[in-house]
Amino acid sequence: MSYYFAVIGTQDNPLFEYEFGTSKQGGDGQLRFSDQVRHLNQFVLHSSLDIVEEIQWTNGQLYLKAMDKFFNSYISCFITGGNVKFLLLHQPPGANSSNVIGGVGGIAATTTRSTSIGANPTSPQTEEAVKNFFTEVYDNYVKAIMSPFYKANMEIKSPVFRSRVAAAGRKYL
Amino acid sequence: MQPFEDAPLSEPVQPLPMAASASAMRPLPKQRPSLTAGTGIDSHPLAQSEASLPLRDRRSNPSAASLFRSTLTPPGSRSASPAPSSIGTRSPSRTLSGSVFGGGGFKQSLLDTGAGDNPGDPLNLILKSFVPHIAIHGSKDVDDLVSEKGFTGGLWELLRPFGERIQGKVTIRDSNGGSRSWEDFSVRFTRFGDGVEAPDPMAGAMKSPPTTVSAAVNGQPTGAKFPLSMTRASLIAQVETVVDRHLGYAEDACMGVSSPTTPTRQGLDTDATSPYYALYLRRLLSGIPLACHESFAHPVASVMAISSRNPSPIEALRKLYDETSQGDRQLPVWVDGGYLRYYVLVHDEERSDITKSMALFDQMKRHFGLHCHMLRIRSSQSAETDDDSIPLPRSDWLSPAEELADIERSDHQDEEDFEDPTRRHIFESDATAIRTFIREMVTQSVIPTMERNISLWNDQVASRRRGISGRFMSLSKRWAFGSSSRTSGAGGASSDSSNNYGALGYYKPDTAEAIMRRLADFAFMLRDWKLAMSTYDLLRTDFQNDKAWKYHAAANEMAALALLIMPQNMSSKTRIETINQMLEQAYYSYHTRCNSQYGAVRCIVLALELLRLRGGSGVDEAVRWGIRLLETRLMGPVGDALLKERMAICYASKQGAGSQAWGSRRRKSALWSVLGAEAWISQSKFIQAQRCLNEARKMYSLLPGECGVQNFAVASDFLAHLNEQLKEGLRIDTQRGEGDDNYDNNADGLQPVEPELLVDEESETLDNRRKTRRTSMINPSGSNTELETAPLTTMAPARLPSVDSEESDADSSAKDGFG
Repeated sequence: MSYYFAVIGTQDNPLFEYEFGTSKQGGDGQLRFSDQVRHLNQFVLHSSLDIVEEIQWTNGQLYLKAMDKFFNSYISCFITGGNVKFLLLHQPPGANSSNVIGGVGGIAATTTRSTSIGANPTSPQTEEAVKNFFTEVYDNYVKAIMSPFYKANMEIKSPVFRSRVAAAGRKYL
Repeated sequence: MQPFEDAPLSEPVQPLPMAASASAMRPLPKQRPSLTAGTGIDSHPLAQSEASLPLRDRRSNPSAASLFRSTLTPPGSRSASPAPSSIGTRSPSRTLSGSVFGGGGFKQSLLDTGAGDNPGDPLNLILKSFVPHIAIHGSKDVDDLVSEKGFTGGLWELLRPFGERIQGKVTIRDSNGGSRSWEDFSVRFTRFGDGVEAPDPMAGAMKSPPTTVSAAVNGQPTGAKFPLSMTRASLIAQVETVVDRHLGYAEDACMGVSSPTTPTRQGLDTDATSPYYALYLRRLLSGIPLACHESFAHPVASVMAISSRNPSPIEALRKLYDETSQGDRQLPVWVDGGYLRYYVLVHDEERSDITKSMALFDQMKRHFGLHCHMLRIRSSQSAETDDDSIPLPRSDWLSPAEELADIERSDHQDEEDFEDPTRRHIFESDATAIRTFIREMVTQSVIPTMERNISLWNDQVASRRRGISGRFMSLSKRWAFGSSSRTSGAGGASSDSSNNYGALGYYKPDTAEAIMRRLADFAFMLRDWKLAMSTYDLLRTDFQNDKAWKYHAAANEMAALALLIMPQNMSSKTRIETINQMLEQAYYSYHTRCNSQYGAVRCIVLALELLRLRGGSGVDEAVRWGIRLLETRLMGPVGDALLKERMAICYASKQGAGSQAWGSRRRKSALWSVLGAEAWISQSKFIQAQRCLNEARKMYSLLPGECGVQNFAVASDFLAHLNEQLKEGLRIDTQRGEGDDNYDNNADGLQPVEPELLVDEESETLDNRRKTRRTSMINPSGSNTELETAPLTTMAPARLPSVDSEESDADSSAKDGFG
């Protein structure tokens, strides 16, 4: 199960990007994105901003769950009060190398681990896990932007923030 | 047959840049007098220097371009005012407080919204392909007469192009008694007995009965045992090849053009469909098989034709009748034999005596009733130089196999005189006579017969099923007798009378289900959507209970299409759910149970198109189905790329509400354009790729964020990489082209060329950074103002020296236009 996490500012610019794999249930934290689709991830994430912008005005929550799907990748979103969006693209394993049988193959491959978080991105457990992840990242994000040297829509370059995000990923996802 | 002079007429449908620049070029060297004699301005620059390059032998044939005419017209030039209003008028009905599912655009029939106005539009194509099929069976002397005029395919070939556009208005009365008139009615002429597809073998009943039954049925010895998916899968492969050829031709054709940057600014066109996509759809739809599970291709009427030269006319007509109803040419058992018989006497103006023919015609009318017509045509061949000759219009609805054969023939024949099939001529009087004949036949015989049949079947069969008693009937069928036969499986269940499908694998034409299917198809053909939809609905459950999967799939597919076209007062959400359910069942039956690739592709592509036209959440659904289709890889590479372009257009057609374009999908549209460009580049179709990239650029420039994916490092690298590949590809083309011709490369040569393509776009560019939010919101559709910053727009044509400057320009702004 691979994840691509990005913090998008108000001008569609990424403030922070981070890719990682799952550490739960035997995953080793390594990425499983194949090379040919890695570049697509950024496009997909960017395009899901369309959906975010549509939903954000009718949904009163900060955590918008998995609101978009692209082939076999799911994108969840958390929106902050400043219209900064946290987007997480998660791709269940077993279905990312080719798009041939799509969902069927994915399901077959993950039946043995159907209770794992990664396998079913729309299950309540996954949603809960992702929500916790986002909340922790949000805490750290608020601390990061409170720095007086940080201006709006600047990139977040703090290494501490990066390590905190990585820790949150290991903990929850 | 004497060879024709293939002087290419100045085709009004080819306003391509090559046409304009060609006129500035020197005329064709006269290779062969018969081919090129009398050419003034050759509108095909391609026919120039081919001798040196073996690759270009197709170009040596100026009339080969006519084979590809259908895709050479750029979409922008076809219709002056495409129907953007169809989508635009619905957006005000969407409110911010509503759900994300969009407004109530379902109140109107799709046809009323003007979505089908352009000839290439999918709605239009759907309407023109599900039309009454009329089978033509001519006697030998008619064939002789027609072949004297230069048509080897018989009367069918002569009539075919005229059936596609019936002159004038056609008034149809629907089941409620209301009447509507349509301008664009058409019929399809087929040869009698063409295109028959054997029914699927029953999975359970594969014991001894099926072989004998099916052998008797369609005269094919092992028809039942063949995997039918083979023939249908090859249809898709053929369609792919045809469109590939067209694309390849266009790529070749643009090689000689002055500059690769000329078509730069043209993006994808939201309003008019890309000609390649229209071609793909047309070829996909043009061969509806004469199958048992759908009766669109079953002939509604058949034309028996004799000529005035026939020594024994009445006997000849009787013979024709017998041949078609009992002889070898008869249609399979599962086709209803009760179609209308129409008798035509072809009177040879030049050789036969008119009084004799009139007497014969009266005799015919007395014998056969009112469904007769005398068609007066001249039997001599028309040469182009005759005063009143017109070229026979090329049929839009060729089957892909036929078109491939044409293309192959033109490839192989460039050493000899090429007889362009589309350049055969007929006399003006012939054309008028044929048009009148078809109009009379359709309006006075075919449509009234269909209406009568509809009301008859409706009263007898369908309304019985619709009421409460009807539901009891179906229930009793299922439970009372059905249970015993279900448990015994399908083996030898012929004793079970309630299951009409059981042992045979098809429904005989007199069963209730077959009649209702015919009723529904007739209603669909006559555009009575409500009746069609309700009948298909009834049929769905029937077929499901009988486990007749192909029938079930077809019924679901047509029900979904009818539901999408008709107006209804359901909320869009419930309607979309119903449609989704139907499509899901149809797709599952086609793909998994019947392994019918053609059925699955057709079903999803048509539904996708109609969903898109409905707007609102229909657009998202359309893309969902498109993704599903892409995942299954049922279409080949060309279809894949076309579909991705189509997804981009789907998303682009979703316009948002309000000043922030809330609900629009620009980024998604740009994503799909990029995917499409990638797909095209991998097939070396650079012109298409360029258009996709331009569209992506345009979409990104419309965003309020003003920077697209520029700040995503990997993404913009990818885009730059695509751009490079594209330039490489185009540069190779132009260099190859340059080596042959020495055309004038100055910028002036560009000027007359540009306006043809850049019809909707301004040539001045605004700086992206200076663009304010206000201006970008004024033009949400963005198709008219080009807010580009890329230095590409100011580039000089690609001469060799300037190629370097082009390169350096590109390098310095690798992320050009995407920011």
